[in-house]
Amino acid sequence: MFGWQSRRQQLLDEFEAHIELETQENIARGMTPEQALRVARKRFGNALVAAEDAHTVWGGVWLERLLQDVRYAVRSLRSVPAYTITLMGTLALGLGCVATMLAIVDSVLLRPIALSHPEQLVRIWGEGSPDGYHSSDFALSYPAVDELRHSDASLAGVASYNVMVRPVTAQDGTRITPIANCSLNLPGMLGLSPRLGRIFTPADSGASVVLVGDGFWRERLHADPHAIGTTIHLFGRPRTIIGVLPAGTPFPQDSGSEFVFVPLELNGKGEDEFGFDSTDMIGRLKPGASKQQALAEAQRLFQNMAKTPAERQRRLVLRSYQETLTGDLRKPLWTLLAGVGALLLIACANAANLQIGRATNRLGEISIRAALGASFGRILQQLITESLLVSFTAASLAASVAFFAIRLLRHAYGADYTRFDELSLHPGVLLATVFLAALMGLVATVAPAVRLRRQVLRPSGARGSARSSRLPGILVSLQIAITCVLLVVSGLLTRTLHSLAEVKLGFDPHDVSTLVLMPEDQTQSPQLSRDLEGRLLERFGTLPGVEGVTTQSSVPFSSFNVGLNGRTDVEGHVYREGETANYTLVSTNFLKVSRIPLIAGRNFSKADESSAGIVVLVNEAFLKAFLPDRNPLGTILRFHRNPGETDADQPVAGDMTVIGVVGNELQGGALDSPYQPLVYLDFEQFPQQSMLSQIFNMSAQYAIRSALPLPVLDRELRAAIKQDAPSMVEMSLKPMAQGVEDSLGQRRLALRLVTGFSSVALLLSAGGIYGVLAYAVALRRREIGIRMALGSSRSETAALVLRQAVWMVAFGLIPGMAGAWISGHAIRSFLYGVRSLDAPTVAQVAVLLFAVTILAAALPTLRAVQVDPAETLRSE
Amino acid sequence: MPTQADKETLNLLQGTLDLLILQTLATGRAHGHAIAHSIERRSDDVLQVGHGSLYPALQRLLKLGLIRAEDGTSENNRRARFYQLTPKGRGQLYAETSRWERFSAAMARILAPENT
Repeated sequence: MFGWQSRRQQLLDEFEAHIELETQENIARGMTPEQALRVARKRFGNALVAAEDAHTVWGGVWLERLLQDVRYAVRSLRSVPAYTITLMGTLALGLGCVATMLAIVDSVLLRPIALSHPEQLVRIWGEGSPDGYHSSDFALSYPAVDELRHSDASLAGVASYNVMVRPVTAQDGTRITPIANCSLNLPGMLGLSPRLGRIFTPADSGASVVLVGDGFWRERLHADPHAIGTTIHLFGRPRTIIGVLPAGTPFPQDSGSEFVFVPLELNGKGEDEFGFDSTDMIGRLKPGASKQQALAEAQRLFQNMAKTPAERQRRLVLRSYQETLTGDLRKPLWTLLAGVGALLLIACANAANLQIGRATNRLGEISIRAALGASFGRILQQLITESLLVSFTAASLAASVAFFAIRLLRHAYGADYTRFDELSLHPGVLLATVFLAALMGLVATVAPAVRLRRQVLRPSGARGSARSSRLPGILVSLQIAITCVLLVVSGLLTRTLHSLAEVKLGFDPHDVSTLVLMPEDQTQSPQLSRDLEGRLLERFGTLPGVEGVTTQSSVPFSSFNVGLNGRTDVEGHVYREGETANYTLVSTNFLKVSRIPLIAGRNFSKADESSAGIVVLVNEAFLKAFLPDRNPLGTILRFHRNPGETDADQPVAGDMTVIGVVGNELQGGALDSPYQPLVYLDFEQFPQQSMLSQIFNMSAQYAIRSALPLPVLDRELRAAIKQDAPSMVEMSLKPMAQGVEDSLGQRRLALRLVTGFSSVALLLSAGGIYGVLAYAVALRRREIGIRMALGSSRSETAALVLRQAVWMVAFGLIPGMAGAWISGHAIRSFLYGVRSLDAPTVAQVAVLLFAVTILAAALPTLRAVQVDPAETLRSE
Repeated sequence: MPTQADKETLNLLQGTLDLLILQTLATGRAHGHAIAHSIERRSDDVLQVGHGSLYPALQRLLKLGLIRAEDGTSENNRRARFYQLTPKGRGQLYAETSRWERFSAAMARILAPENT
């Protein structure tokens, strides 16, 4: 390279000529030819060092040396395949896990979403659920959002949107479709540019126009290039499509492409077309405006417009839009990243131990090189080259592992978790992996190198001196500590899943399927809806194989609930500000289908439907909150009225009489949430003139108890709907148990990953223990032989090895348990039914670690007791 | 690791060696063996680690353009590389020599007896 070879050859020729001249002069002085040559060579000195020094003068020597080192490293690694494969495997495993997790964190949390300047987009909402009927817990009243829009301090734009599902009729029929009812400025504020047509302009105010997402366009409009100007029907009204939004628009969810965007219209009462008086908001910060500033301004604004003390005290929350998209994934993902970081440390410790072992084996080779004139720096450079070569190979292996893992995860979970469909391995992650690999390579070389230096510089004959080093043992203890933490965490998660599986749901989800129906004409009269609902209940009930059927306005673990959270006055209980109960509309069969027990009083009866007085069932949680130690039967409930509120403002204006108490059921979508106070009303009794009756008419959820296979039931139900209520649009039938199971999905995924990491950790640690012991036995062969020759028994010899193993584990367990306690505390929000320091889990982990240690120690122990004292004595 | 003092000695030796080579070549071209002997006659120290250490210095001077090398035939009819000064090398030698003379003159004045 660069003519070095020929220059070097020229130089060596020159040396030869020099020595030859010198030899001839020596012969002329009367020496024998051999003597003459020897003296000449001696006088010349170290030719190789001279050549090396000359070489340095030429420059570029580092590259030459690097290539030389790489060649040398490849050669020497190939001579020890077992070591090389173990080391590369260890590093590739550790780095592969880290690269995968980094890629997930990068793709899901860090990579900006595909909206213009996503860092400026923020959402503001009030802490705690809003009052009355709302589409989401993050809703603010329309006047409040208007107020934000008109104050132009920190926010450059404010848009509102409500997300729901409604029947949409296109040429292919009517199907329930996700809708975003949004202000006209929303698409422009997000910076969306349509793939076809145009977005909303202020001139569209009051016009019957819609924008559709790319997915809707493809699926429902068959990707018709002439879709602009065609009509779809929604909410009983024809609407003209003016634009198609681009694919992959991350709004209002991470993939909003199935959505239809409908411009917002408010009526005289301040409600939108869908009956909501509140809405979600999204705003764009002005360039340079800070979030704190925007939040403080909004808080001030809300305090000024608040009418009640509760409103004045309500704290606002401001988050970036991207954060709200990935909110529930943030903590688990960062935690998992910390987990793989720990795994990487274990792999690093293993790599260091492997290298210490190898370095000691190479002591002879290195001493010879040092004696031949290699400086310590030069030897170190060579060792580092070898280490980096291994690291970079491992990094490329790790990158391929991560590449496939990421593809697998994208396919398996792309549809389940926010942004998992965007998972990919970006160059930044690869760079980070390579950097980590290099760092590991360097760290894992420095420790053995420092020891080498000490030993190379030491006068010869110090065989077996490596035994005195404590470093390998400390590294193994470190591995044990980290493995202990990972195992405890995965144990805690396992226990959490067990506890959650045993949570008393209250209802019995087995053999119950839920079905959502919506009237095609969402404005149809409440009477008609009620008649249809009654007719279907009756019809479904008579189907063969159906045990029972009920309607239920909110079904546990369903995403199509219509919730009514009302401030409630309870007779004999003093109302306190903010006390609410959840109201659910059900039909008479509700208890039979859900199998919720009746604890006191009686169930709804047919006679109640025609009687004027409204009767309700309450659950035990309601009793505990409002009527402790009292006979609840006959108690009167009323919706609480603020001063100035009339009958028209109440969901139910009259009195409601408690006729029975039922067992608690778990509402909402999480198994670890507490039981809420619940009030059940018979839907037939719900006053038709109520302001909410229209809303409750817009959809109906049925729970059907039947042992029939799902496809059979589905077919029968469809046939019945087609015959008796053709104007109702249905959504697919879903087993209730599925909803419960789905709510555990995130925890299951986390458990699967943590268990995977801790298994790898355990494997690596076992390898580490084995390696250190096997090496120690190899070094102490002589000593063991002598001990045995002096009368030490085999069991004493075995104890010698095992004692070392047990000490390493014991020293690891102490910091390990402390770490497990801290980690348990850090992940306590994921835990349920288990404390962050769970003695049984810790004990099991300790037992497991000792068992694995004994297994790992078995082979080295066996080797130790098989040492033949006679052989040792012979070699001495 | 070489100490700071070692390094200074080394630098000094290196500088001396370079100067000695240049001075040897001032009288005409020569090959490595001849230069080594010529230097040895004048200084015991500089080549103490062996004649080989001359060659890195020659390479350094070649690289600086102070000397040039050409192939030729030695006295025993073998191929050898002959080194000779370039004009730049000659200038350098002159500069170094006059600097040294100024320095030694100054030293001589300092060390000379008061009464001269």
